[in-house]
Amino acid sequence: MDTKTVSIKINGVPVQAEAGETILSAAGRAGVEIPHLCSSETLPPYGACGLCLVETSASPKLLRACSATVREGMEVFTDGERAQKARALALELIMGDHDGDCVAPCSLACPAHTNCRKYLAKIAAGDLAGALDTIREVIPLPASIGRVCPHPCETACRRQHVEQPISICALKAFAADEIYKGKLPVPPKAAPTGKSVGVVGAGPAGLTAAYRLAVLGHSVTIYDKMPAPGGMLRYGIPAYRLPKDILDREIDVIRALGVTFTQNCAVGTDVTIEDLQKKHDALLLANGAWKSASIRCKGEDLVGVFGGIDFLREVSLGNKPEIGEKTAVVGGGNTAMDACRTAVRLGAKEVSVIYRRTRDEMPAEDLEIDEAMEEGVIFRFLTNPAEILGKDGKVCGVKLQVMALGEPDERGRRKPVPVEGEFITLALDSVIIAAGQKNDPAGFETVPQTDRGTIEADADFFSTSLPGVFAAGDATNAGAGIAIEAIAEANEAAKTVNAYLNGETLTKHTPVLSERDLANIDFSVYEKRPRAEKPLRPAEERKHDFEEIGAGLTKEQAVKEASRCLSCGCHDYGNCKLIRYADAYGTDCKKYVGAYHPGFLTVAPGGIERNQNKCILCNLCVRVCKEEAKQGFLGLVGRGFPTVIKERIYKEDAEEICRGCGKCVEACPTGALAAAKRPL
Amino acid sequence: MKLKVGSGSCGIAAGAEKVYNALKAQNDGCFTLGIVGCVGMCFLEPIVDVYTDTGVLLKRLVRVSEADAGLIARAMKENDLSLLSSLEIEEEDALFLKKQTRIALRNCGIIDPEDIGDALSHGGYEAAKTVLLHKTPQDVIEEIKTSGLAGRGGAGFPTWFKWDAAKKAPGNEKYLICNADEGDPGAFMDRALIESDPHTLIEGMLIAAYAIGANKAFVYVRAEYPLAIKRLEKAISDAEKNALLGENILGSGFSLSLRIKAGAGAFVCGEETALIESLEGHRGMPRLKPPFPAEKGYLDKPSNINNVETFANVAWIIQNGGKAFASRGTESSRGTKVFALTGKIKRGGLVEIPMGLSLREVIFDIGGGIRDGKKFKAVQLGGPSGGCIPASLLDTVIDYKALAATGAIMGSGGMVVMDEDTCMVNMARFFLDFTAKESCGKCVHCRIGTKRMLEILTRITEGKGEEEDIQKLEALCAGIKDGALCGLGQTAPNPVLTTLKYFKDEYLAHIKEKRCPAGECAALRRYRINEEACRGCTLCAKQCPANAITGSPKQPHIIDKTLCIRCGACKNACRFGAVEVE
Repeated sequence: MDTKTVSIKINGVPVQAEAGETILSAAGRAGVEIPHLCSSETLPPYGACGLCLVETSASPKLLRACSATVREGMEVFTDGERAQKARALALELIMGDHDGDCVAPCSLACPAHTNCRKYLAKIAAGDLAGALDTIREVIPLPASIGRVCPHPCETACRRQHVEQPISICALKAFAADEIYKGKLPVPPKAAPTGKSVGVVGAGPAGLTAAYRLAVLGHSVTIYDKMPAPGGMLRYGIPAYRLPKDILDREIDVIRALGVTFTQNCAVGTDVTIEDLQKKHDALLLANGAWKSASIRCKGEDLVGVFGGIDFLREVSLGNKPEIGEKTAVVGGGNTAMDACRTAVRLGAKEVSVIYRRTRDEMPAEDLEIDEAMEEGVIFRFLTNPAEILGKDGKVCGVKLQVMALGEPDERGRRKPVPVEGEFITLALDSVIIAAGQKNDPAGFETVPQTDRGTIEADADFFSTSLPGVFAAGDATNAGAGIAIEAIAEANEAAKTVNAYLNGETLTKHTPVLSERDLANIDFSVYEKRPRAEKPLRPAEERKHDFEEIGAGLTKEQAVKEASRCLSCGCHDYGNCKLIRYADAYGTDCKKYVGAYHPGFLTVAPGGIERNQNKCILCNLCVRVCKEEAKQGFLGLVGRGFPTVIKERIYKEDAEEICRGCGKCVEACPTGALAAAKRPL
Repeated sequence: MKLKVGSGSCGIAAGAEKVYNALKAQNDGCFTLGIVGCVGMCFLEPIVDVYTDTGVLLKRLVRVSEADAGLIARAMKENDLSLLSSLEIEEEDALFLKKQTRIALRNCGIIDPEDIGDALSHGGYEAAKTVLLHKTPQDVIEEIKTSGLAGRGGAGFPTWFKWDAAKKAPGNEKYLICNADEGDPGAFMDRALIESDPHTLIEGMLIAAYAIGANKAFVYVRAEYPLAIKRLEKAISDAEKNALLGENILGSGFSLSLRIKAGAGAFVCGEETALIESLEGHRGMPRLKPPFPAEKGYLDKPSNINNVETFANVAWIIQNGGKAFASRGTESSRGTKVFALTGKIKRGGLVEIPMGLSLREVIFDIGGGIRDGKKFKAVQLGGPSGGCIPASLLDTVIDYKALAATGAIMGSGGMVVMDEDTCMVNMARFFLDFTAKESCGKCVHCRIGTKRMLEILTRITEGKGEEEDIQKLEALCAGIKDGALCGLGQTAPNPVLTTLKYFKDEYLAHIKEKRCPAGECAALRRYRINEEACRGCTLCAKQCPANAITGSPKQPHIIDKTLCIRCGACKNACRFGAVEVE
């Protein structure tokens, strides 16, 4: 028997539909997508989600495409303004009551969005090679970054609300160190593309971009002005924090990928941008920020005054800058900490840190400050150099203005103000000024610059206004930042370079993400398990040498530490229909926030875990359990907003219990159901 | 003489049973004593009507107490009704009935709802007899079509059309359902009707069942109506004994079994498809329409659902003809409509008026206007699904179209009158609180949308509203109306929409000035002492739990607004009206 057909129009296009079929089904076959979360081809229509609302000629009301059937001559408009508005509201309402994290806060906080959760899970499972692969999807220098990163991931880590954040950073170094003990882990690379890319600078940004582009099959040459590659990782970070053999091992991987290193080659003196443009199909500038900033203080030109990064570079090169017995480091950042602790190791008897605010305002990491104090560094808070005093052209001391904290500035940091007439004089042999890094435009004059003297690059794609020339890292835009930021930029820049070489253009898309409301999480349910710290050598021992200050985590420690991870983020992010629609509609997830429906975690006897916080009450699980699994273990409980889906309460002698067939998990359009345990 | 004590729930709540028992105790055979349901004048209960033995109403005694029983008995004994002048209804209150036309309520307050004989003697089941013995189902449907009767549950859908659809639907097994799941706050039409005249409902259902070809019928009534259920049970049983229900009714060959299903009081079960789900023993959640119940209803069989009042009109229409019914009312709304008149009204109760009367006539002429000399502010029609109508639109006539044009709806008959002390934002909040709690939880727009609206309204009444809240409310209203699955959700925004339409200035005063113009929102109340009125009696200062009031005796007192917790104790304590709300 022939199926009767009816003629309808969907968005003005004639469509033949089967008599009795729903608008949703007819549209689906005609290739018109109507969003829907609660309907399934195998189940009767339900009509809860309100996403499939469409306008039709058949009714003055919006109809639910999942249930309304086609009629001869019907005109359907799937994307009219009224339907779009009602649908957009449904998404806003669902998202406002869907208390889940798409992506874990650690990954969101990481400038490069490292998938911390994934590699921690692999470490916890003992799969270190897998962990390294995961890390290197984003960070090709894991052992180095695992030692030097100020880890925004840990700052965001949810575990801190239980007791302390996970040692994410140290675990990253652990995984890499362990693997590096064996054969050099060179990742597979694509077949050669025949395209060549020149990269200026062998720091974190240059190395990262070179790694990515080499893996993609491009031929990469790095031009670097220093004797050895690594950039600031080699010449800015002291060896006691990052041993250079470890850095070498990571660079060996990049070398093994076929990247050519041209050292001692400075742009402007040894080669020009134009030369490189001619030589390569694309050029990436990652030359960093290598000049120490001045504090504009009288006496800065005296012998015995060093720039912070200049001082660290000299030491790294094996030179011994003459700092004498008494030195002072001006500044409160990590470079200042590196400088003062390096000065201690060079044998200075008295090392001071001069900082114009208090410890609370210091940008340096807390741990670094503690370690410096342990090593005998004297902190002179609320002081600021008024004048560097000299004798015979050489530093003999510093006159310090005493400061006090005044009103908060626009960033909320209290501004230091001089206390009139109060000064301290300190006798010194040298002064190290660690007041930031500046860019040196010499040699890069043909590349458009920002007014702060950095290379102007597109903030999303890192292209410059010169065709085929790209730029990333400290050399660009806002200037110097932390290594992981340079890496993040290099990853994106490598994508753009690759697209450029393939004749493609990239489009920018910031995905809509759901984020949990901290106030709605009960952290008290988690057992308190203290954080594992890297063992540190005693200060008296470590302050005399440049050996690494401590060993890494032991394997036992690492596995235990990684297992503290709360696994924030959603296992279903990649498959979630809800977030796909929210993203497509640009849903403002926080537009209609208020109370949340009751959220709790249950595990059914069959091992199926239900996270009520993410449940959107589409009822698919209930219906699938009843209609397809022919069971009926699930049901709606309560009325109105507090309604939840619950498993049946089984009698003790019940024979029919959930065996975890998993049909409900498959049916769930979000991550509310999972087959494995997932604490958050 | 015969005494009839008004014994609906309203009468009983006012003490009718005690009055009845006292009269019984005093009765030495001089009078007969009986009960009736509710005549509608709930504000005068307990009511005792004095009839002649032939059934002529002689006197209506109101607000009768146990203590009056002796006097009443004496009047009966001495055959001197002038003794009862102090209990007699006042002329003005008697106006309550004057503008009414009683069709659905024709026997309410007149017959004994527990005595089928009384019903039969008032013409009960005559229409059913005519229909079953002399008319075809099609005749019935035509008569109803002529009458123009529309669904009195609120939607106003033509009754004949639904009956016709159910009749024409294929299949032999069909069901008739009476929706007595009256859920609107302030509405009690169905309850009063069933308590006062259950036989009229049964008769209407019998005729409807015959018309559509159903042999099984249900009355879905909320379990919170125990008296209605009790009287309906007795009425069904009596009708069965009198061969008016059951097999082969009156020898016509037509059979009908009628059963009561007590619902657990979920508001959404008043929505017909949710009601059917509940009737089948499932969770009360609406189904998708189509298919409509006329095609696939109870147990997926063709079913017809009507409201109590709709059925209560049927027998009258058969007896008096559809034309007689249609001659009352307006072009678009025929016949009469029952309203439960409540709120800040002088004379509250149950009224039945011809369609086409103005709101002003109902509220002022029948209801006597606003209590305590206050000013009328608005009237809410249709309960949580309806809207409010402001004073400027008091001349709107009661008619489906005219009411819909204001943004309100006819509804099932709830008519809540508000005076100047009612905060319209708080009123909207009250109704949203109701719908949010009563949402079944199925569809997103209603489940989450009403909750968010309630949260926004709550924060506005608490003085935490933000200017963008108005836009948010408007967006929610429009989206929920369009997106909700059933009538409950689709109409839930109405109280907000109409208050935003007519009383936006009140919203803005709450949001921008943190002020409640009606002085109802406790969090926004600002008290002050009028210096001229204050006698310095110190009472307010003594009552203040926050020690916010200072002043020397015989000197005007002052409220420290930083300490005031806005409890209102000072205002309640002041004997000179010196404490004012700003």
